[in-house]
Amino acid sequence: MRPHPTQSRRASTARWAPPTLLLVLAVSGSRGATPTHAPVIAAPGVANPAHIAAGGLPPPGPVVRNPYRGDAAVARAGAKLFVSMHCSDCHADAAAGAVGPNLGDGRWRYGASDAAVFRSIYFGRPRGMPAFGGMLGAQGVWVLVTYLRSLPPPSDLPTERFTRH
Amino acid sequence: MAGFLAIAAIASATIASAAAGSAPVGAPADGEWPMPAGDYAATRYSPLDQIDPANAPRLHPVWSFSTGVLGGHEGQPLVVGDTMFVVTPWPNVLYAFDLSRAGYPLKWKYRPNVSRAAIGAACCDVVNRGAVYADGKIIYNLLDGHTVAVDAATGHLVWETKIASVADGETVTMAPLVIGNRVIVGASGGEFGIYGWIKGLDLATGRVVWTGHNLGPDAGMLIRAGEFHPPYVSGTQLGLRSWAGDSWKHGGAPVWGWISYDPKRDLLYYGTGNAGPYDAEQRAGDNRWSSSVLARRPEDGTLVWAYQFTPHDSWDYDATGAMILANLTIGGKRVPALVHFDKNGFAYTLDRSTGRVLVAKPFTHLTWAKSIDLATGRPVMNPAMQTGDTKGDVKGICPSLEGGVSPASPGAYSPRTHLFYTSTNNFCMDYTVHRIAYIKGTPYMGVSSPYTPGPGGYLGAFIAWDATTGRVVWKDEEPYPSWSGALVTAGNVAFYGTLDGWFKAVDARTGKLLYRFKVGSGVVGAPIAFRGPDGRQYVAIYAGIGGDWALLAGDTLSADPTDLRAPNPLVNNLASRTSQGGMVWIFGL
Repeated sequence: MRPHPTQSRRASTARWAPPTLLLVLAVSGSRGATPTHAPVIAAPGVANPAHIAAGGLPPPGPVVRNPYRGDAAVARAGAKLFVSMHCSDCHADAAAGAVGPNLGDGRWRYGASDAAVFRSIYFGRPRGMPAFGGMLGAQGVWVLVTYLRSLPPPSDLPTERFTRH
Repeated sequence: MAGFLAIAAIASATIASAAAGSAPVGAPADGEWPMPAGDYAATRYSPLDQIDPANAPRLHPVWSFSTGVLGGHEGQPLVVGDTMFVVTPWPNVLYAFDLSRAGYPLKWKYRPNVSRAAIGAACCDVVNRGAVYADGKIIYNLLDGHTVAVDAATGHLVWETKIASVADGETVTMAPLVIGNRVIVGASGGEFGIYGWIKGLDLATGRVVWTGHNLGPDAGMLIRAGEFHPPYVSGTQLGLRSWAGDSWKHGGAPVWGWISYDPKRDLLYYGTGNAGPYDAEQRAGDNRWSSSVLARRPEDGTLVWAYQFTPHDSWDYDATGAMILANLTIGGKRVPALVHFDKNGFAYTLDRSTGRVLVAKPFTHLTWAKSIDLATGRPVMNPAMQTGDTKGDVKGICPSLEGGVSPASPGAYSPRTHLFYTSTNNFCMDYTVHRIAYIKGTPYMGVSSPYTPGPGGYLGAFIAWDATTGRVVWKDEEPYPSWSGALVTAGNVAFYGTLDGWFKAVDARTGKLLYRFKVGSGVVGAPIAFRGPDGRQYVAIYAGIGGDWALLAGDTLSADPTDLRAPNPLVNNLASRTSQGGMVWIFGL
């Protein structure tokens, strides 16, 4: 039960405000009058069409930037964290895919940006991806993101050829 | 109610046959298939004999249905009266088909509101191993830790009980069994550090009547004074003292396979899964009762005996495969036997009254042990194959952690040929583990285990086995691991499916191939036989590759454009033969 050296508890002390919490929605225009019937809500004008693209991602919050982007040393630390946090037990060695999807194929179910990958790890995803933000903190999650983004894309998976068999 | 009476008839037939000393224990009294293995004895034997080796080449598909679900279609349909019931993998849809009308249209379907989060807590695909019929209800488990009872006539929910906690790594994939007024259920999670258990629910209400753990303190295991008699060990707190420190608390020993029952002895039998984590050095000791068979009283769960196939499991050798009950003649003596094909590569013939080992022989190539010592019941280990975080990369362990047979592939027994039939695997592994911390709700594994082929140039085989002597009688080699359940009939035809999508009928006496058909996706389910409302014999099978192969042969998955997988080197051309699917097939003459 020894702690893994890369599983730094210090990381979890780093405070990071999730972008969705910064999106404060004005939900009430009440100025003292108590409504006596259901309010009529007019459709608002569409300020940003990206907000309503079918199947699109949530509206963008503040810009979330990977502080370690491209840092090879951080990526190597992330490879170790990927094992010690049990990521490899679902996503396989080198994130090649097992219970969870391949994370090294250059394709992303919930968006390809570093920020989207960050959100997947920090908050979890509904098909059973646990939320690791509480354990790892923002810094630890960025270390994992940096590792995943360092994986080399596959050479020839999109078109599989079977004639040789 | 016809089905309920049928079960009563099965029970009485069981007692009658046991009294007469003839096998099998509890053959179906008619052409129905009301429980997972067809009967309490888990024989997967059908007394129907219309299909025989002479006419089997004329078999052909008479019906098929797409379940609408892609995922490992393990388990089997049920047939009760004029209705066939089918349970799918997550999201665990239950279909009821009317066999009395042309085209077998749906009578109803039941769609439970099952959690998506459970997908991530399932170690090995989102499979379900089937339902059981009793008292007018179809009863089955949902992946997210619920047992449901559905009115067999209407499809309306009768009761629903939360039995397991996904947040603690428990999911439910096993096939329940109804014994008297108890519904017997268990949970998966040997890869998630669960504290493994089995429960008895009240058939009428679903209320949890008892919970018996498979490890830990005696009280939690439902060990009652003077009633627990394991055959080779004695003393108290065996499930506690055989684990270093408090490692039993996350020691696994899940229940994800099959239950069988002997009405004469009033004992239910089931196997437990692997100990966790995979690093065996973090849990010194025998780790009882992981990788074991346990015998309990169905009414209150009292533990009566237990036998451990793989002490201190260091290879993920679950013992959750079927426990098949048959009365055999060994050395001139009539024996109440329990026969089990274990992941560890040995087939065991036990005395099901006491748990003592009568015969234990390898049914596939193995290297981790030399033999089983019948005096002590313990394996004679190969020291070079011990694993642990200080052992480094241990090469050439056979069988692999997929097992000499997968517990998801239950065998069959024919009282006509006196032979057992089972799928088997023939591949090995290199095994590296690292120390690991428990993180609730995440895998508690820490292993890397690439596979290599076993000797002989084949990866799987369907075999006939003589459990009185422990020898292979015949063997049909397969190019891929063999992952389907077995069926054998009074017509002396055995049925199984292959990972590359063939459904096969073979002569039960010789193994000669009689008929095969490509069912569209790899077969990991188990065939059944039934008599239709027209009086004819039919055979049903699921097609839908999955289970461990959804993980291992990721190139057979095509449904997610954001998830591309390289072929598994062991079966690098499997995706050229099959892809994911979800079909129910019925064959007839």
